[in-house]
Amino acid sequence: MEKIQLRHTLPNVFQSRTDMVSDIWLRDVTFEKGKRYLVEANSGTGKSSLCSYIYGYRHDYQGEILFDGEDIRMYSVAQWTNIRQKHFALLWQELRMFPELTAWENVDIKNKLTGHQTKEQILLWFEMLGISDKLDAKMGRMSFGQQQRVALIRALCQPFDFLFVDEPISHLDDTNADIMGSIMMAEAEKQGAGIIATSIGKHIEMPYHQVFKL
Amino acid sequence: MKLVWKLLRQHISIPQFVGFFFANLVGVVIILLGVQFYNDYQAIDQEDSFMKADYMIVNKKIGALSGLTGAGSTFSQEDVDDIKEAGFAEHIGAFTPSSFNVRARFDVEGFVSFSTEMFFESVPDEFVDVKSDAWKYQEGDNEIPIILPKNYLDLYNFGYAQGKGLPKLSEGILGAMKLNIQIGRGENSGEFVGRIVGFSSRLNTILVPEAFMQWANGRFANQAVVKEPTRLILEVSNPTDERITSYLQDHDYETDEEKLDASKTTFILRVIVSIVMVVGVVISILSFYILMLSVFLLVQKNSTKLENLLLIGYSPAKVSFPYQALTVGLNVLVLLLAVVIMLVVRGAYLNMFENFFPDFEAPGIWQALGVGLALLVIVSIFNIIAVYGKVMSIWKRKD
Repeated sequence: MEKIQLRHTLPNVFQSRTDMVSDIWLRDVTFEKGKRYLVEANSGTGKSSLCSYIYGYRHDYQGEILFDGEDIRMYSVAQWTNIRQKHFALLWQELRMFPELTAWENVDIKNKLTGHQTKEQILLWFEMLGISDKLDAKMGRMSFGQQQRVALIRALCQPFDFLFVDEPISHLDDTNADIMGSIMMAEAEKQGAGIIATSIGKHIEMPYHQVFKL
Repeated sequence: MKLVWKLLRQHISIPQFVGFFFANLVGVVIILLGVQFYNDYQAIDQEDSFMKADYMIVNKKIGALSGLTGAGSTFSQEDVDDIKEAGFAEHIGAFTPSSFNVRARFDVEGFVSFSTEMFFESVPDEFVDVKSDAWKYQEGDNEIPIILPKNYLDLYNFGYAQGKGLPKLSEGILGAMKLNIQIGRGENSGEFVGRIVGFSSRLNTILVPEAFMQWANGRFANQAVVKEPTRLILEVSNPTDERITSYLQDHDYETDEEKLDASKTTFILRVIVSIVMVVGVVISILSFYILMLSVFLLVQKNSTKLENLLLIGYSPAKVSFPYQALTVGLNVLVLLLAVVIMLVVRGAYLNMFENFFPDFEAPGIWQALGVGLALLVIVSIFNIIAVYGKVMSIWKRKD
């Protein structure tokens, strides 16, 4: 996938609002593969909705969203599954991890599906992010900040054209945020992929090509 | 898939699945046994192979007077013509009795030897449903094909043999044995060999081919040949035709009613088996509901996990698979166990059958297996579709 286009897109819930000032909603926006974007937002401006629309999880919007010129409303179940496995990695704000499984199993359940990363690479990331002692810990017992790091590793266990991270460092200290940023950049560069990050204040430090105000 | 299963097996309620398992087992066992028992019973109650169903045997009622005089119990040509005119009979044949002495000796080597006076009768060959080459007699042949009443065999098996501790005989064994037959008396006599080609439960007589009868009546008759028959065989197009009953009543004729009784028994049995099977089907349907409810409950309880699996790229088919495999696996297990139970129960009643009916040959269980497999396939398809539908409702975020 080379580009994501938003054409006059607006969440249905904002329909009645007349004072919409946004770089994204109701505009023509294009995200291109290989570039890095930051979407800054205040709470309640539809940041998570944006993730959900692009990920095919929700469809309650007007206007159009196009992948390489194709309207994603037309996408079939099989197409979405393919997108989620091979083209689009997403780190949810609410993480969506499995509390019953260990940190390692949470990552492995994704990597088993895609077979994308080696065990060594995954262990290396755990180490870099300072959570290698939590490999066998139940996800439900870990702090949100630790879970965020595991969630990033899981997101990287697949080939992607775009990496979409929704408030990835909300519960991280600056050191870990920087490590996370560098891992993301390295992995994205390796695949020639684009990165779209969102934040409501603290944002991950990266050389962004473009910054949007949502 | 192991990890997926580890996730999705959370909240599985063992008691619910055990409940389903036994409920469904009872249902399937009842259905399979119903099918199998009906088939086994049909094998006992085989149609008389020598007479087609639409044949009726008619005789005049024997009153006190006619019994003494011997007159009035025969059918005259007018009687026959009258039946013809009545229109319900397509063909009419007469029983021809033998006008000579018959003495038969029957040896079961080492066991028993019978010798008895008897008689022969014949009907036109078109009424006898035996392969034509087995039912043939040509002048000069020493061998006579014979059809015996089934009652004779039953009398021997259940009366004589039982009492004397002799082995029971089946139709097959008897068919391979020969009867030594002496016909006529003194100088005017002949020795023949009788070959039993079958047993009839409807013809209460000892039947020989008409060709033999005509020849032997001419050759050995030591009394006046009776021209008029005492019994007629009719081929009717519709045995339930009311005209037949009223005609027979009006003319004081009798017919064999066993056949009617047998078909009544079969009919009642069929009704009972149907009722039992319906009960089995109802139990199966209810157990199917239990299964579907517990699977739906499971999907509901695990809906967040299922949704997250879908969102990290698992396809709905992959996510549905564990629950589909679970339900189909349970169905297969139920069928296997049900077949085993059916075989055990069947073994018990087949023993009984074989004691009562030495000729009984158990039919295969393929039909019951077929029904079981068909049920399995249908129910499994429903399960697979239902689980997939439920997962798709999560995909579409509809509850």
